[in-house]
Amino acid sequence: MKGKLSKILISLLFVISLAALAGCASSVGGDGTGSNKQQSNAGGGEQVVNLYTDRHYDTDEELYKAFTAETGVKVNVVKGKSDELIERLKREGKDTEADLLITADAGRLYRAKEEGLLQAVDSATLKNSIPENLRDPDNQWFGLTVRARVIVYSKDRVKPSELSTYEDLTNPKWKGKILVRSSSNIYNQSLLASFIAIKGEEWAKNWAKGIVANMAREPEGNDTDQAIAVAAGQGDLAIMNTYYFGRLLNSSDPEQKKIGESLGVFFPDQDGAGTHINVSGIGLTKESKNKENAIKFMEFLASEKAQKQFAESNFEYPVNPNVEPAELLKSWGEFKTQNINLSKLGELNSQAVKIFDEVGWK
Amino acid sequence: MFVIKIRQFRLALNSWSVLSIVFVILLLLPNLNILINVFKAPNENWIHIKRFLLQEYVTNTLLLVSFTGLFSVLCGISLAWLVAVYDFPLRSFLKWGLILPLAIPPYIAAYTYNGLLNYTGVIQTFLRNEFNIHLNQKYVDLMSVEGAIFIFTMFLFPYVYTITRDFLEKQSASLIENARVLGRSPMEIFLFVILPVSRAAIVGGASLVILEVLNDYGVVQYFGVTTFSTAIFKTWFGLGDVESSIKLSALLLLVVFGVLLLERVLRGRRKYSYTTAKVRPISRIRLKGAKAALASVYSFAIFGLGFLIPLLQLIHWAFLTYKNILSVDFGRLILNTLLTALLASAIIAVVALVIANYGRMNESFAGKICARLTVVGYSIPGAVIAIGVIVFFVALDNNLFWFYRLINPDSAKLVLSTSLAMLIFAYVIRFLAIGFNAVETGFEKVGKRFFEASRMLGMSVTETFFKIDVKMIRPAIVSGFILVLVDIMKELPLTLLLRPFNYDTLATKVYQYANDEMIREASIPSLIIIFISAVSIYFFNQVVDRGER
Repeated sequence: MKGKLSKILISLLFVISLAALAGCASSVGGDGTGSNKQQSNAGGGEQVVNLYTDRHYDTDEELYKAFTAETGVKVNVVKGKSDELIERLKREGKDTEADLLITADAGRLYRAKEEGLLQAVDSATLKNSIPENLRDPDNQWFGLTVRARVIVYSKDRVKPSELSTYEDLTNPKWKGKILVRSSSNIYNQSLLASFIAIKGEEWAKNWAKGIVANMAREPEGNDTDQAIAVAAGQGDLAIMNTYYFGRLLNSSDPEQKKIGESLGVFFPDQDGAGTHINVSGIGLTKESKNKENAIKFMEFLASEKAQKQFAESNFEYPVNPNVEPAELLKSWGEFKTQNINLSKLGELNSQAVKIFDEVGWK
Repeated sequence: MFVIKIRQFRLALNSWSVLSIVFVILLLLPNLNILINVFKAPNENWIHIKRFLLQEYVTNTLLLVSFTGLFSVLCGISLAWLVAVYDFPLRSFLKWGLILPLAIPPYIAAYTYNGLLNYTGVIQTFLRNEFNIHLNQKYVDLMSVEGAIFIFTMFLFPYVYTITRDFLEKQSASLIENARVLGRSPMEIFLFVILPVSRAAIVGGASLVILEVLNDYGVVQYFGVTTFSTAIFKTWFGLGDVESSIKLSALLLLVVFGVLLLERVLRGRRKYSYTTAKVRPISRIRLKGAKAALASVYSFAIFGLGFLIPLLQLIHWAFLTYKNILSVDFGRLILNTLLTALLASAIIAVVALVIANYGRMNESFAGKICARLTVVGYSIPGAVIAIGVIVFFVALDNNLFWFYRLINPDSAKLVLSTSLAMLIFAYVIRFLAIGFNAVETGFEKVGKRFFEASRMLGMSVTETFFKIDVKMIRPAIVSGFILVLVDIMKELPLTLLLRPFNYDTLATKVYQYANDEMIREASIPSLIIIFISAVSIYFFNQVVDRGER
């Protein structure tokens, strides 16, 4: 009797652990997308491409579906934060199931390349559709969409003629007027990294110091919150990405729309180095097991048709020069962009982070 | 006959201790390769971190932890006391309603409250458009250390509340009634009876709150409050330095162990278990007039802040956005969320029971260590655990590859590590502390006399466990199960990192929208999480109630 009970206990545990395994098998395998299944089918049968991405827009999924419809290749997705996905790739090593990595920042793609996680892709299609500065010099990653980090200003309190360069933001005339999010954010890190690349470390440090001195409040919230704070009168200028502003203007909340309309976009440094841009981009993993499909997918995303949808759905700029940006973006006008290779952003990222810490940009 | 008896006895004893030790080793293994980094020599980044980050981060973390801890205890215990000892309007609803704030993940609460209070929020928009009143933004800005303390307190205090309430309702009847007979005022009873006797429960709840705060990344990052956990992430991802970031995690771990040790030392040998065999519910005093109103208003205000107000805001947003996200397959998300959460909670309940029972029977060093180690997963940031678990599972797959081949000659190498098993395993590591805490408090409450009596009457440990212990602590098991279930449904970093391809849950959907600054679109999946959590809280509350009668 006593022996029986402990047996019951042990078998209970065993059943639960079995259930755990069965649970995953059934749920993963249930819709035919399970990794177990796809692996065993990788040789023949179902065609797949496995994607790690930190873009999470529902509209991206429509693109995946379109690709499957066109080619019969199924797109499997793991979404997450880019840094963590890179770490996962690293730890999975040569056994990884991932074929492609998409991140929303060139610096992160650079890091993946540095870690030896990517491989070069020799594709005339990609080279022809994507300008040189928006892809890796060694063809290990390719930009897909562009966003600009711009100045958004209050139409009531600021005339565009008062605005000029990023450097001008450190002018004491803007004391207590500038709103920007925390330095732990990758967009700020890449912005500063671009300055280090173009103007040198000293300049970048002085710039960061000057911004801290002019901040309307300690950094808090996300990009959209900075725009809202400008509308609320907490400051006059916000440093933010274009697509967040586009989204504000198209918000489902009429009140947000209204405040979006009280703000204007300014592209800085038009007479100098140009406005800072960054990309969402894609790279082929070194250990990719579905290489052919993966390259097909990359070329698909760079194609004119996909580019239009890719960029338009999220108010980003297409990388493919043959594709026009969305109407809203066109209404903001054309602008000159920084002409550095974006891999610099990754190279100089940790230097930028250190500068932020040193000047006390939270 | 005698020999058989001894063998059975040893079998029973062994299965508990062996299982416990196996479980604990499984918990620790994935974290080992992380902990090894602690002993590596510091690099140049470490100097940078020490110089520019540590001081402020430590200060902020201490502020957050101490104030959130204090306020959660105040809120939790005062509400537990009201609900357990008094009767007042709305009491029967608030009794379980006050657990509901747990259904709302703190980072969603942070986004929601900011959306509510900021310039485009309902309150300011209304004042501006109807009365042309413009508030000074300084006074409505939630994004600060104080704001974070408010959010954490409002959405985490139920940890203290549930454990303390459960304890008071069942444990303190004779003490409270004796004190009443001896003419003590309610305030005196609260201060000199309730507080001291429920200390174990309070400390248990408060330590969960503190661990949760130490671990949070969502709220502090959004609010721009620099803490230990932002330092860990910044070092890891900003500086690309895993070693230093793990050093920081290890420091955090040391602090956590320090706190837990201190609690043990302070409590000393005292045990607050029952001295009589009769478990008798307390007879509640009916409050009248102003007192009743005050009790209702106070409890309801906290319920409003911690649940109703954010809920209404989310519902409002859901109406604004439902058209945009109709294409999302919510059925599948719900199924995925429930499947993983239920499975992991069940496993946690079993593991927690085994280890807690072992720790109780065996007061040796090993037993105590096993019990304390259950908290390891809860004190390491989720993303760090995730990486440890991946390494562990990839190694496991490498060692099991021959076996996979045996079953399926075409098998790929990574089987377990691309399956849900990895995610569920990580959940167990991460949330065992919560289940264990509940079970342990349950055992403490019951004490050892029933166990000893049963053993004396010739039942084995295992038999006693099933026939006596499990039945007596069923409410504790159930409440642990709910807390774990709800926590897993809200969990983010592990789910994001460890899920298989094409596997989304409600929480990952919420994250996607919130991270892309589309908090309104996140409202519907958030509401579903809250709804499922609320239903489970209600349902299990019923079970706990029935268990008492």
